[in-house]
Amino acid sequence: MTALTCRFISLADGLLRVAPVIVCRTGAALQRTPVIHCVRTHRTNTWWDEHLTEENSSFLKKIIADEYQQLTADKLNPLKDEPWARQEWVEGSRRVGLVAVKLGMMPVWTKSGERHVVTMLQVQDCHVVKHLSKEEYNGKTAALVVGGKNVSPFHRPEGYLEIFRNAGIPPKQKLTTFCVTDNSIIKPGTPLYAAHFRPGQYVDITGKTIGKGFQGVMKRWGFKGQPASHGQTKTHRRPGSLGPGGDPAKVFKGKKMPGRMGNVYDTVYGLKIWRVNTKYNVLYVNGSVPGHRNCIVKVRDTVLPNRFEKNKSPPFPTFFADGDEELPEDLYDEDMFQFGEPMPE
Amino acid sequence: MAACTRRASETMGLLRILRNLTHNERLLSTSVMRHAAASDGPPKFTPPAKPVIIDKTQKEASLRRFLSPEFIPPRQRTNPVKFSVERKDMIQRRKVLNIPEFYVGSILAVSMSDPHASGNLNRFVGICTQRSGKGLGATFILRNVVEGQGVEICYELYSPRMRNIEVLKLEKRLDDNLMYLRDALSEYSTFDFNMQPVRFELTGDVSVNQLKVKMKPKPWSKRWERPKFNIQGIRFDLCLTPEMMEHAQKWGEPWREYDMLKEYDTSSLEKQIFQEVEENLSK
Repeated sequence: MTALTCRFISLADGLLRVAPVIVCRTGAALQRTPVIHCVRTHRTNTWWDEHLTEENSSFLKKIIADEYQQLTADKLNPLKDEPWARQEWVEGSRRVGLVAVKLGMMPVWTKSGERHVVTMLQVQDCHVVKHLSKEEYNGKTAALVVGGKNVSPFHRPEGYLEIFRNAGIPPKQKLTTFCVTDNSIIKPGTPLYAAHFRPGQYVDITGKTIGKGFQGVMKRWGFKGQPASHGQTKTHRRPGSLGPGGDPAKVFKGKKMPGRMGNVYDTVYGLKIWRVNTKYNVLYVNGSVPGHRNCIVKVRDTVLPNRFEKNKSPPFPTFFADGDEELPEDLYDEDMFQFGEPMPE
Repeated sequence: MAACTRRASETMGLLRILRNLTHNERLLSTSVMRHAAASDGPPKFTPPAKPVIIDKTQKEASLRRFLSPEFIPPRQRTNPVKFSVERKDMIQRRKVLNIPEFYVGSILAVSMSDPHASGNLNRFVGICTQRSGKGLGATFILRNVVEGQGVEICYELYSPRMRNIEVLKLEKRLDDNLMYLRDALSEYSTFDFNMQPVRFELTGDVSVNQLKVKMKPKPWSKRWERPKFNIQGIRFDLCLTPEMMEHAQKWGEPWREYDMLKEYDTSSLEKQIFQEVEENLSK
């Protein structure tokens, strides 16, 4: 598809180049010729490697990969790299969150043998990209921009890459903003890990739901539809009445109707974390999470007030891998059954 | 052969030496000595040799190279990290609980801890009619007929409530899914709860039971004669006319087997995972 578009653009480009010639030639004969008006929306019409030899482009790919590996390795010890002053956690602090990739689902069991399902979220190359002060952001609260999942720098606009160059990290696929309190700001370039959250905590997860296309009201809004039989003609899945007739004499705004379903950002609140794998940076979050497999989701401490008790004194402002804390490979919730142990009964 | 005869002659020599010793205490009761006693006078009573009780219940595990099917990841674009992390947990669980080799068609006895049962233990015997699920969520279904009522229980392989899985009879059937036993005569899914384990071969191929079941009259829960089920283990000739069998072929999709996109060759994956599982289980 991209190739097609490109060809189309170059065709337009060719037209542009030819156009003045045509105008000049016909200008003498016909005074009122409509001038061909072409607006090019694309800035460039070349691929990044179009004028490079094969060796050059492969070389470029290789050194870029090496460079980004080096950049990541340099940021592994944020506490030795002039960190910003760390402050203590107090009531009402809001921490930064994570950008994670959805792996899939699996079952877990509690110690009494009850089954729950969890979603596995992997935190891949998650870094703090930028700090926005209160004035820069919205005048109310400071914010941290966090990016996740490394991507190729080719085919990306220069302005986007500059953000990452300033932070000294490889470019990311996804950037999200977290509103944080002033005591929990982190220096840009700090890596974030799954151990930022601990088992037993509760989180909110935002993701883009799976797109369902244009759907009727029964699927989109759960309307009841009409009976299948008993004299129904051409009405089985229709919405029925849109509202009262004469008095409002209109259809109210926001009426639930057929339309595009899914492919919008959605948040689920108050999901428990059952387990954290610190080696592969996997979070095991209770229940389902919006989005398809391998989609990117945003994980943050929950805003539900009745879960604040469970979220007290987390790693603040985040978990530092080079800090004093030594973590085992797997952190479990105390209620969760651990494989490799006999059933406690 | 020569070595064998030499050893035999040696033992005979040993016996001869024993006979020459004083026989006040019985050292060995051998037939040779008994013959010697018979030649002396009236036969003395010699107690018969104690019967050697051979334990029929199989204790040693199968020596076949067998990888449980839930280890093989489904064919999808999931990050392989997900499966490897899950596999670690499965191996951890298998270190505690012995999950034996079994197939659809094998007869199993499963003990689950059940908080509502007396003695906190629930034992069920039945034929495995289906294995499904991948990874930690793998399940299997046992079917039996209890007091005239068909019972099917779906067990989770990796549930912590699972106490013991015993294979009473290791065999395969003609099909990989025996859900049609619901529509078959109940004698085919009736099994005794006190069934004794049947000894099976430790090596070689697992025997395939060539049993073909007779069905109850239609309607069935599914149209088993349709080609998509590809059922071998039903006596269709007893319940359906040739016209009906011919009619069912209308739903055949013979081009499916040539669909190369549907091919999923797991042999190399299987080998790799088997090695990993073996290494980690023995650790």
